[in-house]
Amino acid sequence: MLLKTKKLMKAFGGLKAINKVDFELPKNEIRGIIGPNGSGKSTFFNLVSGVYDADLGSYIEFDGHDITNEPPHKVGELGLARTFQLLRLYQDMSVINNVMSGYHTLVPYKFIDAVVGRKKIWDQEKVIKEEMMELLSFVGLADYAEMNASELSGGQRRLLVLARAIAGKPKLLMLDEPAAGLSPVNVDNLMKILMRLKEKYGLTLIIIEHILKVVMDTCSKVTVLDHGEKIAEGTPSQIKDDNAVIEAYLGKKMDDEEMRKALAV
Amino acid sequence: MEKFKEIIRQYPFLGFIIAFFILMAIPSIFFTDLYQSHLSSLIFINIIVAAGLNIVKGYCGQVTVGHVGLYAVGSYTAGCMFMYLGASLWITLPIAILVTGLFGVAFAIPSFRLEGPYLALATLGGGEAIRLFIENGEFFGSTYGISSISQPELFGITFDTPDKYYYISMPIMLIAIYFSFSVLRSSIGRAFMAVREDPISAAASGINVKKHKMLAFILSAMFAGAAGAVYAHLPPGYIHPNNYTVIEMVTFLAMVVFGGLGHIWGGIIGAVIITIVYDLTRPLYEYQLFIFGLTIVLTILFMPKGIGGFIDKYFIDRRFKKKQGVASK
Amino acid sequence: MKKIKIIFSSLVFTASLLMSTIAQADNIKIGVSFRMLSDVGYKHGMLIEDTVKMWNSQGGINGKKIDLTLYNDECKSEKGVANATKLAYQDKVHVIIGSSCSSVTLPMVPVITKAGVPQIIPHSTSSKITMTGSEYIFRVPVSSRFYKIVQGKFTAEQQGKKIAYIYVPDQASMVFAKEMMKYMKDEYGVDPVYQVQAGEKETDFRSYLMKAKAANPDVIVLSGLVDETVRMLVQSYEVGIPKSVHRVANSVASKVEVPTNAGKAAVGVVYSAAFAASDTRPIAKKFVKMVKSKYGVTPGHDFSQMQDLLDMLKPALEQVNFTGNLAADRNAVRDSIAGIRNFTGLASGPISFCAAGSPECRDGNKTPVMIEYTRGGKNWKTAVAGTVTFKPTDGL
Repeated sequence: MLLKTKKLMKAFGGLKAINKVDFELPKNEIRGIIGPNGSGKSTFFNLVSGVYDADLGSYIEFDGHDITNEPPHKVGELGLARTFQLLRLYQDMSVINNVMSGYHTLVPYKFIDAVVGRKKIWDQEKVIKEEMMELLSFVGLADYAEMNASELSGGQRRLLVLARAIAGKPKLLMLDEPAAGLSPVNVDNLMKILMRLKEKYGLTLIIIEHILKVVMDTCSKVTVLDHGEKIAEGTPSQIKDDNAVIEAYLGKKMDDEEMRKALAV
Repeated sequence: MEKFKEIIRQYPFLGFIIAFFILMAIPSIFFTDLYQSHLSSLIFINIIVAAGLNIVKGYCGQVTVGHVGLYAVGSYTAGCMFMYLGASLWITLPIAILVTGLFGVAFAIPSFRLEGPYLALATLGGGEAIRLFIENGEFFGSTYGISSISQPELFGITFDTPDKYYYISMPIMLIAIYFSFSVLRSSIGRAFMAVREDPISAAASGINVKKHKMLAFILSAMFAGAAGAVYAHLPPGYIHPNNYTVIEMVTFLAMVVFGGLGHIWGGIIGAVIITIVYDLTRPLYEYQLFIFGLTIVLTILFMPKGIGGFIDKYFIDRRFKKKQGVASK
Repeated sequence: MKKIKIIFSSLVFTASLLMSTIAQADNIKIGVSFRMLSDVGYKHGMLIEDTVKMWNSQGGINGKKIDLTLYNDECKSEKGVANATKLAYQDKVHVIIGSSCSSVTLPMVPVITKAGVPQIIPHSTSSKITMTGSEYIFRVPVSSRFYKIVQGKFTAEQQGKKIAYIYVPDQASMVFAKEMMKYMKDEYGVDPVYQVQAGEKETDFRSYLMKAKAANPDVIVLSGLVDETVRMLVQSYEVGIPKSVHRVANSVASKVEVPTNAGKAAVGVVYSAAFAASDTRPIAKKFVKMVKSKYGVTPGHDFSQMQDLLDMLKPALEQVNFTGNLAADRNAVRDSIAGIRNFTGLASGPISFCAAGSPECRDGNKTPVMIEYTRGGKNWKTAVAGTVTFKPTDGL
């Protein structure tokens, strides 16, 4: 198992944002997490990536390491990358620098070498830059490398955030609503890129997404959260027919026609 | 030209050696009197402080208003070592850098919890506390100041006049800039920027936010310490707590803001321009502070990224146009 | 690109503007570095400007016009040193006037000595300045080494030996209190009953004053800058230190603001200075009237010392035969100033210099006057409690 949580809990005051969630994710899987607004999806990400400390009794394991309540940068170093719902782009940095700072944990040289400014650093920097440019052209942003990130369009920003997360060659990539606010064409484009990424880098992915089409088409398995609890888990087709899920989402069972409408978006 | 640029990029040290020889030649070609050497030394000292301030403020985004206190620590470490041990600049400089670096740790700690104006207030208090401590400490010469701090000697030459001291302050400044460039252009500089832009997202990329804040504070404190020591030994070698007030701090900040926050050349351009403009307006002393304030306000209003941002924009635009031109052909 | 051009051209424009103010070579050049921060500070600058303007309108000095270069040092040694260097090497002045703060004048001395420019001090009193032994430095005010004796003697013999000291961390204020303490110890073998250094820019001295009161002193020495002196005086009555305890202040008390702002609390304060506005000599009366009408304040000894300085500088410059060789001219000016003997101006005693670069020769004014405020408020009045003339070597 790449990622494992046991009795994961987090309460904000009296509200149980995540309540006793057991979660297991094997390597090379694409997992979708869905659930209505406020169901605890982003909190789940924040707990796993260390932004929030989990409550007592929780246990999180990543790639064989106990990462319960480890600071976020430690989790990042272990190879768990993520994106944010609010993007959290480095607005005032160039596109290439955005991506290169994602490579931080892999930089081969030491601090002291950088201070002294040894020549090998510049050689290594050059290699890193080339590698990152390759990544940028992969997501289709190579032409904008020297531009400020704030000058990009909304769709390009989403791609940049994706590129930044992949730059550190993570073992697990967690995407928080990667397709939010994208036009249908761009959603397709994003999905293509995601699939190619998975093949190229051998990524394991967790995707939170409201656009059900993305989840249903790309994910091999889906976990459903509601009110902080895991209410269902299974393949997309299983989830589609799960009564609890449908109730949580829509409050009633739908017939096939209605379902098709809901999924078309 | 392109080839030359490529060589400089490959061997950044080479650029500094060229700059060194140019700056070595400048006094004998352009300078007509000793005051220009004195002013140059002041510019170099300001460059060192501003380059350091640019690391913590411009790159790492930590609003510190206590830097002048660290500058004072550097000066007084050198001054006290001279007063009690008779040490020369060659000994006081590295020790001042180390001691100030330690003080930098103290300034970094509040930055773990505080942000923006609150951090500014905390560091402001720290800087002022240092000055008041010096002012009230008999050990530090209190308001008598420390006088006739010796000038360094090398190869049998005593650098005891402004024109000679130029050759001390200039190489130290170049070395300081070299270090600041190496750090800022490496992955550490990028990590600083990431911390400035978004600490949460930086941490998600595996960047240790606290460590980098601490690093930025220590590095920039070391720059301030070096500048302080160089200032203490500047002929006639006199230091007094009055030279380390909030007004000096605002001047340093103005240099970084005017030069361009977070631009690699930012602090340097700002230090040169502000020091020279301040000197040119010396006879207009009644309006000096007014002109000064107006400059800052106008900069923030019309050039929020300072001169550096302005230059950047120009170069990037040109490069972009060039690319487009090539594509259309 | 256009913007860069605009910025560049405006820079060039300002530079050329400033260059144009640099005047002809054969004029006599006087440089001033001065603390021009407060209202009164600016008025001191105006006094110099007006006086030099008057000299020029009267035909200059031996037909030569005078160029005045005025810089502000903000009471900061960094600025003072830069000003002195600029005046000496770039503006190539023949004589420098400055500065107000002892901590600024002190580091200027090695600069002007190396450059060989005579400097004449209007205000700084710290005895350390002339002890540097520079041949180029001249002091018009009374050195703190004389003040401490006159104050110490007067206090010990007329007021009492149980003394409490409160002083602020300003060089002149601190030197005054410390030198007086040392003098009382050396001469009379008494230690202070209470002494404390207040914080910088402190406004509430009542806790110190309460402690001083508890020590039950005969005399309380309040040594600070203008604002602090006023506050300490007023607050000393607020905490109930009786009128019978003598209040002593440093020469700052001669400034107009002290009696004006302290009001009744100023009454009975004894201080030593170089000039009293209540001076009845015609020359003094005329000067007080002139300053009052022109600058709107009653002059303390800061004004009178500046006036004395200018009055003695003019004849000294008149005796110099300017050759156009800067170094020689500067030395000639120095020798001419050193030749001043028994100049009688506004100061309460004659001012004399001599050739050697020693404190004996260069602390020109050796006659402090003890002054007591007899009335506070806007129409304040003083009475002279005594005048002493010292030997040049006293207090070294």
